[in-house]
Amino acid sequence: MSFFTRKLNGKLNKNLNSNPMNNTATLLPVNTFVLARKNAWLLWLCQCLNIATIALELGTWMLAIITLSLTWQAFLLHRSFERPNSKKLAERRTKHAKNKQNGPVSPFVLATFAIAGCLTIVITAPQHGLLISMVHLLCFSYVLKAFELKARSDFYQLILLGIFVLASALIFKQDLAFSAMVVSLLLLNFVVLLQYFSSNNVFFANLKIIGILMTQSVLLAVVLFIVFPRLSPFWQIPIAKSAETGLSDTVKPGDIAKLTRSSKLAFRVSFEQQSPPVYSQLYWRAMVLEDYDGRQWTKRFKRDNNKPSQLYIEANKAGVKPITYQVLAEPSFQKYLFALAPANLSEAFNGSIIPQSDYTFLSSSVISQTKAYHLTSYLGAPIGVTLDDDSKALNLAYPKNSNPRLEQLALQLSHNYSEPLQRAQAVLNLINEENYAYTLEPPLLKNNSLDQFFFDTQSGFCVHYASAFTFLMRASGIPARMVTGYLGGEYNEKSATDNNKAQGHLSIYQYDAHAWSEIWIQGKGWLRIDPTSAVDPERVNSGWSDDLLQQQSALINELFSRSLFKNSDFLNALRLQFDALDYQWTKWVVGFSTKQQYDLLTAWFGNVKSWKVALIIVITLIISMTAVLFIFNWLNRADKKQHRQNLADKIYAKALLTLAGLGIDKPPAMTVNDFAKQIREKQPMLAISFTRLSNSYSNLCYQNVSEEDKALLTITMQQQYQQFVKNIKSHK
Amino acid sequence: MKISTFFGIHWLRALFERNFNRWLAKRIPSQSEHSLNSNNILIYPTRFGLGYVAIVTLIFLLGTNYQNNIILLLSYLLASFFISVMLHSFYNFSTLRFNSVNKQHGYVGEVISFPINITTKKQHYDINVLFADKQLINKSLTNKVSLAIAKKGTHTVLLPFQATKRGLQKIGRVIVYSEYSLGLFKSKTILDFAHHAIVFPKPKSLVAGQYQLSGQADEPVIESYHESTHSGSDDFSELKSFVTGESRARTAWKQLAKGQGHFSKHYQGSQGQLQWLKLSDMPGNDIETRLRYLSFLINELTAVNQVFGLDLHENSITGNSAKNIAPNTGFDHQQACLIALALYP
Repeated sequence: MSFFTRKLNGKLNKNLNSNPMNNTATLLPVNTFVLARKNAWLLWLCQCLNIATIALELGTWMLAIITLSLTWQAFLLHRSFERPNSKKLAERRTKHAKNKQNGPVSPFVLATFAIAGCLTIVITAPQHGLLISMVHLLCFSYVLKAFELKARSDFYQLILLGIFVLASALIFKQDLAFSAMVVSLLLLNFVVLLQYFSSNNVFFANLKIIGILMTQSVLLAVVLFIVFPRLSPFWQIPIAKSAETGLSDTVKPGDIAKLTRSSKLAFRVSFEQQSPPVYSQLYWRAMVLEDYDGRQWTKRFKRDNNKPSQLYIEANKAGVKPITYQVLAEPSFQKYLFALAPANLSEAFNGSIIPQSDYTFLSSSVISQTKAYHLTSYLGAPIGVTLDDDSKALNLAYPKNSNPRLEQLALQLSHNYSEPLQRAQAVLNLINEENYAYTLEPPLLKNNSLDQFFFDTQSGFCVHYASAFTFLMRASGIPARMVTGYLGGEYNEKSATDNNKAQGHLSIYQYDAHAWSEIWIQGKGWLRIDPTSAVDPERVNSGWSDDLLQQQSALINELFSRSLFKNSDFLNALRLQFDALDYQWTKWVVGFSTKQQYDLLTAWFGNVKSWKVALIIVITLIISMTAVLFIFNWLNRADKKQHRQNLADKIYAKALLTLAGLGIDKPPAMTVNDFAKQIREKQPMLAISFTRLSNSYSNLCYQNVSEEDKALLTITMQQQYQQFVKNIKSHK
Repeated sequence: MKISTFFGIHWLRALFERNFNRWLAKRIPSQSEHSLNSNNILIYPTRFGLGYVAIVTLIFLLGTNYQNNIILLLSYLLASFFISVMLHSFYNFSTLRFNSVNKQHGYVGEVISFPINITTKKQHYDINVLFADKQLINKSLTNKVSLAIAKKGTHTVLLPFQATKRGLQKIGRVIVYSEYSLGLFKSKTILDFAHHAIVFPKPKSLVAGQYQLSGQADEPVIESYHESTHSGSDDFSELKSFVTGESRARTAWKQLAKGQGHFSKHYQGSQGQLQWLKLSDMPGNDIETRLRYLSFLINELTAVNQVFGLDLHENSITGNSAKNIAPNTGFDHQQACLIALALYP
């Protein structure tokens, strides 16, 4: 209740104090906290935006409560700043104030809000997990605090909470655009704070000050970022339980078609000094699915019989040219990683990446933030030449009679083609020759029946074809399995730099998700066969066809659809440029590791020693401190003096130009006074007016006059100039 | 146990304050004019500033625990922003110039204002001025004077001091502080203008007839002075406007009857004997009360322009002239007398 009265009192005080009393001190009442109307609204806006950065992570109920209280806050603000334009309004306002003082509505509603919020946090806690619950608590207290701005310390606490909300938003998202947004919101938060101290200034003046201060701070921040030692985590922390994105360890027909509606980045790859392999070689292996239950394929988690190291020796023997590359995997909240099989880890990664016997890689923990790793791939080298009996049995298993018509076909095929490769080719030919369609909108299948797809609907996406193909292979006695991952990627050469010959990078998005199959042949090992190549060769060789793109943009209503970018070169160039920036950001800032830090420091300063680090920090500190003072001094001086001086210079120059029009030139070496003397002798008509002008000018330039006098003198000089011009005209 | 720690803290605090004051006296000596520069500005974080540091540390821990480079970068940015703000605070506070008259008068119970002139070369924000002595602050009405914005030029702030005790009051130092730009830092200086207030006793009115002005019969020196200055007595000198409280006997009836106004006749040495206000003549046992009567009489006599002297001996017999003020009249005389009252031991 006192909240309102304080606000009202405060406003009255403010009105009293707002008289122009520049040269006398105003006695401010003690212990009343008032925000000016403009600033109160700015604070509210700032709160909304801060919450918006993290809104995607909040639960629906929490979001609803927060929205409601922010709306209510806006309503209260509107009320309290209603202007008493007329008597009636003023009367109404006092009535309101009385009502507010007496009526128990407000605290009741506030208490209801608080209770509702706390209940929501408690009830949804098991569902959301610890981290999100804590974020809920943070956001909720941040919103509620705004109702309790009784003293300046409350305002300060609100600002600090806001900054912390911004920092927590970065747990979930770290890309360049988002980080830039967070920093600009940080600026806004500080402007609100500054506005409290200098409410007379306009918003942009304050923004300028904060902007300068922040720019000043960047240097030290960057140096700290580079040289300050990375510490290992102090304690166990709750990991974000965000929704898993990307592929999953079970796949049924139609799954990946849904995934292609997302244009989210999956991972980026840079091939450093080499040029990337051709598109059709870019099969990014993520998971191998071996269990088939008649409806869906599931990854089998089994103990590894093959020691990972053996796999790589086998690969090395093949004598193919190895290619090395770095993968920057975006957070997927899953464990699988991406590689061009067969691949070898370039570094040990302390066991945080575990190579699997099926030539995939698993992260030891859920990928909740960008993960960088180096791989060496041997494209074309055979994989899994030996196959133990267990695996063989597993890769031949299928539920009998799950797809009777396909089983029939398989029997027929095995009869006709005794060679496994021929048999596979026959299936591909069949798919190619028959009227099969490759579409993002496959018709629904009853019980995910492959029979229905293969013989009736005959249209599907990659999983349909890979499933049917793998099933046919297994049914005809060839060990086969399903592999999921991504195919291709968008090559962006904007990130290429000339000096170290780095090539551009590949960006692989969720819509590049793909499924294919592998068959095992004695002596050759696992061979990759992609049935999609039989139905839509363009997809495999160069990427999405226009048909598919159109289908996609019809399915998703994104503002910037891919087909839009494909049609506009300018927009596409812009997008690629931003992607390149974001890539550098991800590589150098988001993924800046202890090792990178060590390498960089040794490259710059030789061996890394703590005194060197301290010295660098101190030097930077001194540089940025002097820069701050220098800049503000300079701005202050530049603001006023320069302007006035320039005006005087301009007027004098104009006068000289007019004289030059009459054929009188001032030699550059001659002083202002001497020139005036010369005019007096040669042009007595102009003598008086020009001498006056010259005197004012030399006074302004060379004499020590106070600022007020300077302003006056400048004005006088303007008048004298007009006199001078009149004088000339009358003599003509 | 508890008491001993308490005393320990108290002792430490006293030690600190003594050292601090000594340091301060050396650093910012007593002057009538002060100009702020790096020698006399203290900058330290406010509670909000410490809270900010805590939040930045928390963000750093968050970043470290999540091994999140962007959060780490944010914490570094906030930390170096903190330093930039400190310098901006300093920039806002430096080059201010202050000057002040160090002596002010007033009566007990009055609010005595100490004007402080602030001269600025550029625009400054959030300048707060107050007395450093905490005991003074508690008693006064508003303890600080704030200047939300100080544009280029000279500004005057009036620092109020509630006078409660007669005598010479040393006010101590003046604190000037600013929390601009973001409230993270307090830029502060503790200036010494050697401010002091001379507090006169509060006038207490005496009913007429309760006292009488008496001569200083047993003071030959004064007597001869009296004789030499006032040769003839009862020489009419001038007519002056009637002042309430004057004797009706002196009314210039002729002029009053003519309707020219109410005047009273004044004679050279018309008071007959030289008038002395004597402390020993005042009624009451309490010395303070007697001084208050004297304060009242001094004002009254000055208002009627009467010549009087002041004798501050407690009993009339003492022959020491050191506590006497020779008879005179006028504002300066009044002030001298009042000051003598104020400084009476």
